[in-house]
Amino acid sequence: MSGKEFFVRRYEKLGWRYSKSKLKQSIRINTLNAKKADVIKRMGSRGVELERISFLENGYWVCKSDFSVGAISEYLLGLYSIQEAAAQIPAALFTGLKDKTVLDACAAPGGKTVQLADLMHNTGTIIALDVKRRRLTALSNQLERCRVKNTIVYQMDARESSRLNMKFDRILLDVPCSGNYATDRGWFRRRTLKDVENNAALQREILAEASQVAKVNGEIVYATCSLEPEENELNIDWAIKTLNLEIEGISCPGEKALTNIFGKEVDGSIENCRRIWPGQTQGFFVCKLKKRACAQ
Amino acid sequence: MKPINDFISRFATSTRLDENLLVKKQNRYFLLNKNLKRHLQKDFFYAGTYLGKLKNRIFFPSFSLLTMIAEGKANKMIVDERTEWLFVCGRDIFKQGILSVTGSKRRGDYTLILNQHGECLGFGKILCNIDEEKGKRKVVVKNISDIGDFLRREK
Repeated sequence: MSGKEFFVRRYEKLGWRYSKSKLKQSIRINTLNAKKADVIKRMGSRGVELERISFLENGYWVCKSDFSVGAISEYLLGLYSIQEAAAQIPAALFTGLKDKTVLDACAAPGGKTVQLADLMHNTGTIIALDVKRRRLTALSNQLERCRVKNTIVYQMDARESSRLNMKFDRILLDVPCSGNYATDRGWFRRRTLKDVENNAALQREILAEASQVAKVNGEIVYATCSLEPEENELNIDWAIKTLNLEIEGISCPGEKALTNIFGKEVDGSIENCRRIWPGQTQGFFVCKLKKRACAQ
Repeated sequence: MKPINDFISRFATSTRLDENLLVKKQNRYFLLNKNLKRHLQKDFFYAGTYLGKLKNRIFFPSFSLLTMIAEGKANKMIVDERTEWLFVCGRDIFKQGILSVTGSKRRGDYTLILNQHGECLGFGKILCNIDEEKGKRKVVVKNISDIGDFLRREK
């Protein structure tokens, strides 16, 4: 069960017609280090045309640039980060981040960690985890470049985060996933339904651990760049029925998530999650969960 | 702490870092805040503000530390936009690219390199007595470290 035809047919059954995506490059201005107007002006003087992304506070499309926006002083000084537009959504869904204790459970390469630090104005504490050491080096470089000061990084599997003996006000679960064809040319050739199921199982373990280390009323944002319902709606349906979590409404682009998956009905509150099919952005799924006060 | 203080003094200045908030992990130094110190566990990989590392008894500063030094009174030069670009690409600095100098202009001294926005791009070693140097196309500062390193590290 693999191949382009197989997956495209699945997407049709979910109500979406496959089309090639035209991703636009985007950046996010780090307001910790610069005022938005100053960065736009400086980029403009170098011939880089930016256009504000309507659904993001600090996100901009790169409309024109004669060179790589990842190789100029403004980037190297941490005034902005190159971050895909849909990937800028999850961190922005948390409320009241200032002075909070935040877990970024699958943090590398660190784009969202830097965004969290920016939203927190470098206050509070971010605990950033990733399993692979090489990816931690990339994460650390991002933190240094963007002058993040409120983060501790550990080499740790997100499924073991209770080893930290900490409870968190906010948890970002940008979980490892199968990805999607918009950002990976060989996606249809490489991926099988078995991969999707394996990733979904791993994601459930991470969700379960996060529910253990979240404070009561703590917020968990779960995100994937997968289009497969096993990693999205079906996992969240399992989480709210098993882990003492409930779905919170969110305001962000995307369609209401699916409540009928290949004929199977899931909890109606799932429609408060958001599913973004590939277009100007990559494919994405995001939802916000809240830890309930006690088991119901 | 000594390697950091010794390094800072090369720029004819001193920066007060709270020793209680300084941690060393193998050969790397980090500056915490009180919040982070409370949460820090010994098996951390990175924490707070990275200050630099000691390798073969030589201290390699982070760009965060250079920025902290540049915020105070220290040897520094502001360079023009073309020189900024060349410096970030790893090149040395010609006299004609220097817009202003604060502190030492003496051969052998170290100086921070800043762009016209006052942002620290790295540091270098002064190769000649700058006031005495007549040739505008003469290299006067040798690049030791620049922020282009963030790109070179990834390769």
